[in-house]
Amino acid sequence: MKTAPMLSSAFLQPAGQALPSTLLALRFDRASSLADLLLPTRRTENWKYSAKHLKLTDEMASSLPSDASVEADEISGYTVVLVNGVVRPEVSNYPFIEGLSIQRFSELDGDDTALAADLIGKSISDQPAKTGSVNLSQLNGARFEDGLLIQLKPDTVLDQPLFVIHHTTASQSGSAYPCILVAVGRNSQLTVVEDYISSGDCPVMVNTTTEFNLADGANVTSIRLNTEGQTVQHMGTTGVRQQRSSRFESHSVGFGGTLRRHDLHVRLEGEGAECKLNGVVVTQGTQHYDNHTTIEHVAANCNSEETYRNIAADKSHAIFNGRIHIHQDAQKSNANMSNKNLLLTNGAEIDTKPELEIYADDVKCAHGATIGRLDDESIFYLVSRGLSRRDAKVLLTMAFINELVDQIPVEQVRVSASTGLNHFFDQAFKEV
Amino acid sequence: MLSIKNLHACVEGKQILNGINLEIKAGEVHAIMGPNGSGKSTLSQVLAGNEAFDVTVGEVTLNGDNLLDLATEERAREGVFLAFQYPVEIPGVSNLQFLRTAVNAMRKHQSKEDMNAAEFMKLAKEVSKQVDLDPAFLKRGVNEGFSGGEKKRNEIMQALLLQPKLAILDETDSGLDIDALKVVSDGVNALRAPDRCIIMITHYQRLLDHIVPDYVHVLADGKIIKSGSAELALELEAKGYGWLGIKDEAVANQ
Repeated sequence: MKTAPMLSSAFLQPAGQALPSTLLALRFDRASSLADLLLPTRRTENWKYSAKHLKLTDEMASSLPSDASVEADEISGYTVVLVNGVVRPEVSNYPFIEGLSIQRFSELDGDDTALAADLIGKSISDQPAKTGSVNLSQLNGARFEDGLLIQLKPDTVLDQPLFVIHHTTASQSGSAYPCILVAVGRNSQLTVVEDYISSGDCPVMVNTTTEFNLADGANVTSIRLNTEGQTVQHMGTTGVRQQRSSRFESHSVGFGGTLRRHDLHVRLEGEGAECKLNGVVVTQGTQHYDNHTTIEHVAANCNSEETYRNIAADKSHAIFNGRIHIHQDAQKSNANMSNKNLLLTNGAEIDTKPELEIYADDVKCAHGATIGRLDDESIFYLVSRGLSRRDAKVLLTMAFINELVDQIPVEQVRVSASTGLNHFFDQAFKEV
Repeated sequence: MLSIKNLHACVEGKQILNGINLEIKAGEVHAIMGPNGSGKSTLSQVLAGNEAFDVTVGEVTLNGDNLLDLATEERAREGVFLAFQYPVEIPGVSNLQFLRTAVNAMRKHQSKEDMNAAEFMKLAKEVSKQVDLDPAFLKRGVNEGFSGGEKKRNEIMQALLLQPKLAILDETDSGLDIDALKVVSDGVNALRAPDRCIIMITHYQRLLDHIVPDYVHVLADGKIIKSGSAELALELEAKGYGWLGIKDEAVANQ
């Protein structure tokens, strides 16, 4: 058997020393623990389809410049901009609200440092470690140069969404490791929009982690929009821990690239917690997008509802792997998972795998996955009313995801999603 | 206005139409009757341009333009409208969005400006009343969860919106109760105009009580074997198809 390649030691040399010593030490420990681990290959189950797109050259290991200049985004409202994983206060617009604290890692001290050190990596599963290959989300812990600690005190409501813009500059090869920690107090409410964008077209890698910790009764909406350029290898991880009666809602809209990977791991740890996970992925050309989700029902009486839609055109490849794990004590769990997929061409590929692991005996758990194509009869019906073939296909394709796009509770994101989708349709349905 | 000459067509290698000849003048309504499997629906699909059907021989012109050279959407824009026997359900596309896109595609072809949402809403509400459909239907998915009768009324509503030159109604009366039949017939009668021709495909004389055709044709084995006035339909109702020398339906289908 061929041995899997090892992660180059070049990846374990973090840049940026402007961090509290506790975090520097934590980062050093993480790096040491990754020293002799292997990279995933196609034999690594959860990297089966994506391993071949992973190109971790030594060139890619160098940190992208944290002082790269970027054009300010025209987002009104609360925004925090990170460039190559480093917070840039001069182009950010922090909200000042009683009970809300947004701090960059380099500014942390005392209890806040301890909290950050405690939270980093906590909600992220180390399960793949048993296969002996690198859980690439751990790389973030070994390389972060800055990050955000967002804390919301109990009974605090953030009145508008907080945009966290992750800008990667791909004007040279290298990588970035943004890290976001969110701690939401009892009965508090927050909407975070993570917008991943890039400029330039050199091969780069973005390795992100975002961790949400929801206290009892907290209510968090997380929106993730990925419109990075083709040359960006994106490996994102979102970890969520939910306490009693908390509610987490996630909306993700992703456009493909050379490699897009997002792992979303939700743990329902307190009774009565519920989560709703929506996802839309579109790919075209030779793009690749791989979504892995895990919902763990740890406590009893929790609900989860998951709806993902993939659309693949040309020779692109989209993957959905949805795992629901119901622990032994999680009686009266209610879990629903639906994944529908649309292939727009014969050359496109979609792989879907629902996984259920149920150890409790009194649960309701349903899952469904379908893969189909646009219906010729429906197209005929629409064009017989004078619609162009392109318009007919756009309407039918939008029909497939409308329900999910409409549910995104932030208009600016719906507009960005529509712009991206229109661009996608222009390429996918070129009129002949 | 519409001229069909020696039209032959097949689907999946099976010959269905065997030389149809039909001339329809502006303002006329023609009914086409005939047993199951005689090619009535194939004729309507071929005229509308369904690519699943291959025209092997023949010619179809509308106001002198060769229809067979045009793609489905171009025919629609030239004024061909087919009311489907089985309208397709398209969840996720709202009726309103669909209809407005269709009307604007037509207007663009006629070099007219797009109708804005408010103007269109007003028009759509008027037309939906004409076929007794609650305007709330406009917000629902195209034909999604509509009853058989509602689907048929939706088809007629589309014809009223799009104002075609040639309207082909494929068994628009099937699945309708007496009240719905009246509503749909009123809609079709409202479509009658001096510059429009209508083909009605039906099994039943009862529709023709409401919409009196100028001509009735009997289709069998992909050919028109008899044509006559509206009285022909009454005769068929009384005698069946046997007296025309058409084999019993069950036998014909074997």
